[in-house]
Amino acid sequence: MRRRMDLFTGAGEVTVSEFLEFDNVSKFFGSLRAVDGCSLEIKKGEFFSLLGPSGCGKTTLLRILAGFENPDTGRVRLDGQDITDLPPNHRKVNTIFQSYALFPHLTVQENIAFGPRIAGHSGRQLRDEVGAMLKLIQLEDQAHKKPGQLSGGQKQRVAIARALINKPQVLLLDEPLAALDLKLRQRMLIELDLIHDEVGITFLYVTHDQGEAMSLSDRIAVMNKGKIEQIGTPAEIYEAPRSSFVAAFIGDTNFFEGKVAEVIDENYSRLEIDGFPDVTVFNDKQIHMGSAVYLSVRPEKFRISRDNPLEDRLNNIVRARVEDVIYLGSSTKYWVRCQDYRMAVYRQHSRYLLDEKPIRWNDEVWVWWHADDGFMMERYSESDEKLMDGPPDSMGDNGLFDVVRPNRAAK
Amino acid sequence: MKHSRLPLITTIFVLVFFYLPIVVLVINSFNASRFGGTWEGFSFKWYIRLFHQREIWHALRNTLIIAVGATSVSAVIGTTAAFALHRYTSRLQRIHYTLIYTPLVVPEILMGMSLLLAFVAIGVKLGLFTIFLAHVTFCISYVAMVVLARLQDFDFSVIEAAQDLGANWWETAVKVLLPLLAPGIAAGALLAFTLSVDDFVISFFVAGPGSTTLPIRIYSMIKHGSPPLINALSSILLVVTFAAVWLSQRLTEEKK
Amino acid sequence: MSIEQKKRLQETLVTLPSLGWLLVLFVAPTLIVFVITFKPADPFGGIGPGWTLETLRSLANPNYPAIIWRTVWLSMLTTVLCILLATPMGYFMARVGSKWQKVMLLLVIVPFWTSFLVRIFAWKVLLHPEGPLKQFLVYLHLVKPETSLLYNANAVLLVLVYSYLPFAILPIYAAAEKFDFNLIEAARDLGAHSLRAFFSIFLPGIRRGLMTAVLVVFIPALGSYVIPDIVGGPGSEMIGNKIAQRTFVDRNLPHASGLSAFLTLAVLAPMVAVLTLQKRKGEKGPLIEGDA
Repeated sequence: MRRRMDLFTGAGEVTVSEFLEFDNVSKFFGSLRAVDGCSLEIKKGEFFSLLGPSGCGKTTLLRILAGFENPDTGRVRLDGQDITDLPPNHRKVNTIFQSYALFPHLTVQENIAFGPRIAGHSGRQLRDEVGAMLKLIQLEDQAHKKPGQLSGGQKQRVAIARALINKPQVLLLDEPLAALDLKLRQRMLIELDLIHDEVGITFLYVTHDQGEAMSLSDRIAVMNKGKIEQIGTPAEIYEAPRSSFVAAFIGDTNFFEGKVAEVIDENYSRLEIDGFPDVTVFNDKQIHMGSAVYLSVRPEKFRISRDNPLEDRLNNIVRARVEDVIYLGSSTKYWVRCQDYRMAVYRQHSRYLLDEKPIRWNDEVWVWWHADDGFMMERYSESDEKLMDGPPDSMGDNGLFDVVRPNRAAK
Repeated sequence: MKHSRLPLITTIFVLVFFYLPIVVLVINSFNASRFGGTWEGFSFKWYIRLFHQREIWHALRNTLIIAVGATSVSAVIGTTAAFALHRYTSRLQRIHYTLIYTPLVVPEILMGMSLLLAFVAIGVKLGLFTIFLAHVTFCISYVAMVVLARLQDFDFSVIEAAQDLGANWWETAVKVLLPLLAPGIAAGALLAFTLSVDDFVISFFVAGPGSTTLPIRIYSMIKHGSPPLINALSSILLVVTFAAVWLSQRLTEEKK
Repeated sequence: MSIEQKKRLQETLVTLPSLGWLLVLFVAPTLIVFVITFKPADPFGGIGPGWTLETLRSLANPNYPAIIWRTVWLSMLTTVLCILLATPMGYFMARVGSKWQKVMLLLVIVPFWTSFLVRIFAWKVLLHPEGPLKQFLVYLHLVKPETSLLYNANAVLLVLVYSYLPFAILPIYAAAEKFDFNLIEAARDLGAHSLRAFFSIFLPGIRRGLMTAVLVVFIPALGSYVIPDIVGGPGSEMIGNKIAQRTFVDRNLPHASGLSAFLTLAVLAPMVAVLTLQKRKGEKGPLIEGDA
């Protein structure tokens, strides 16, 4: 069993086995590695998300848990029991499908009652169960309608009720909000959260939308090309990404291509960046001198001003020219140019100062950020692999993280 | 083509072409004259005469027995075929598909001839049963194609949902798959029924003495017999067909 | 049993009813046709014992080539005429509003569902030497009173086209319905005039429907029997007539079998051609876009 340890979890609690476990699960479709050696542990009652771009394998992993796909390698264990070979109708797991998959020929009530009926419930017990569910989703007066007569949000709630009534050990949600418009999606996000708190069962949520994943989840697994890139809380994923893919996929960031020129002390190193001033950066990964790296700094970590800030050995201060100003209401996004690089800078308008002159296009400004707010990852090539102590989190197809685009400006 | 009226003209021409003989037929069935050339007054007499033709009733009975039997069997087999074709994509299915598709294209005379030879070679007596077997054979393909088309529009996630909720394959089939597929199967069955009632060539080849079907009787009437009676019979058949088509359209539409 | 094996077994069970039935009652009889060609006829109209090449030799009848040629020729003509009529019609039907489309489809399907014999008989009546149509045409001086509209190759061709036209219309219409007519607008926008757009954009676009139409008209037409039998004369016999004659009149089953075998081969050839053409272009899926 492999366990993932992140930066902020410290020594971590070591448990023998978790509630829900994927153990080195792989699924191949011909030569396509849809899921490639994924191991994952989910705690009981957790709201856990699988996040990644389309084709990363998250839905396949979900379907393996539901029982609709059989893994080519690995095992799936639920509450201590190996369920890998169980057919889907024997698993204590229920799915909310992306298209809801409500039975069009049955009413809302009959849809919800489907699972209990199969299990043999009837009469008063069944009526009470269904009634309680209808109350939970607030659709008592729609009980006799057919799915064709319901709105998107109502259909989704029926799908949830239909699944929850069976008291599954895990509820699987396959991009349930994808078909809804923005306002409805925001409302359903809140409702899902409430339902999870109220019902308390383990949720496994699949999505490509980071906003959903970050706002709902206790922990997230970021997936790419069948592999798990990183597992952590939303904050961990955002602030301490372990690979360039995660850094690039979650939120916005600026990338710089550099080389470790000097190790200043046990925590900090100096980077030489071609076409940019030298930069001090927090070196938690003990990257060696001379290594080629990517440096990532998120736009909100920059400070920007027309006035020269105070010198500080831990602050990186550069001079730049404003190339673009995009007013967003609660914040402004600046594109600034410093030597060969174009950086995105977010500045929140926490205070509107009447007599402060706004920063405008073509202004000369100072931009600075704290060394702790940048993080770096090694740039690997095939030959470097032999020199490493352990494999990197993700290599991408060409040996380089092909989602990373350094912010080099076109000449 | 905004400028050219050719498509419209062609369409009108074709529709007139289609319905002209039919209209003439119906009109003539009420013609008191024996020969279609002259109109001698409106009359029901041919319909009345038709009513008394015992051979025709006998033939109708045979036709219906065969049609009901063939429709039932081919509906079941055609549906399973469509299901297999949709669900699986192996080499077996490619062969399966060719086998289903071919009867739709080969001339009926080949099918009739080959079945006749097979029955004679094996020593099976020709009669209603052989006609029944022949009809099922070509009806399977039609039912399969109709149901297959329906399946392609079918949202299979409801099947997974049923399994997810605990149903085994039997419960899933009975409670979810069949109810949703029913209109498609009904449309296919209706098509099979019509084809069976209407079939002449294949029936002619594999029929035995005493197992005349309605089309076979009509054929011999055409060759040897009384044109006005055929007019009347044809008009009745037309009305029945109109009703069947209307019913089939209702069935395929309602579930949309 | 492993999951894979279970799935394989499931698949076999579901496929078995139809596959089995068709193998026994469709494929096997077709093979039997070829086998019986090598058997002698018995005097009671059945199949005699032993084997012989006599039947094969008797197939080299000097009358046959003419009949074969006529069959092929009439079938080709029928196909061409059907396509010529069906294509503008399919075009029209696909462009008209959806309410009208349903009506038109119904109008086309209804004759198609009426009894096949009835329709042929209707033409026999219509084309009758003393029938109203003939009188009408004589009145217009379009035909001479002696010419017979019936019992010749023209009558056969007319009724063949009549019978097979719906088979051509349906697939062409189905393909036209899926065609994106914006492409024609785009072509016109780029300077092509209507006719050019029709031939170089529309026709290739419904290519699959056209191929299906050719297939479902030409091949069944080759086997026509009833139509030349009822409205045709001795000079317009087709292979189907001969097969029926040998079976029911001459009671020579092996000979009829030989003719059928020949027809089967003639029918398989274009089918195989079309199917390999489709596979070469990488298209899969049903040729026929479902029946109505």
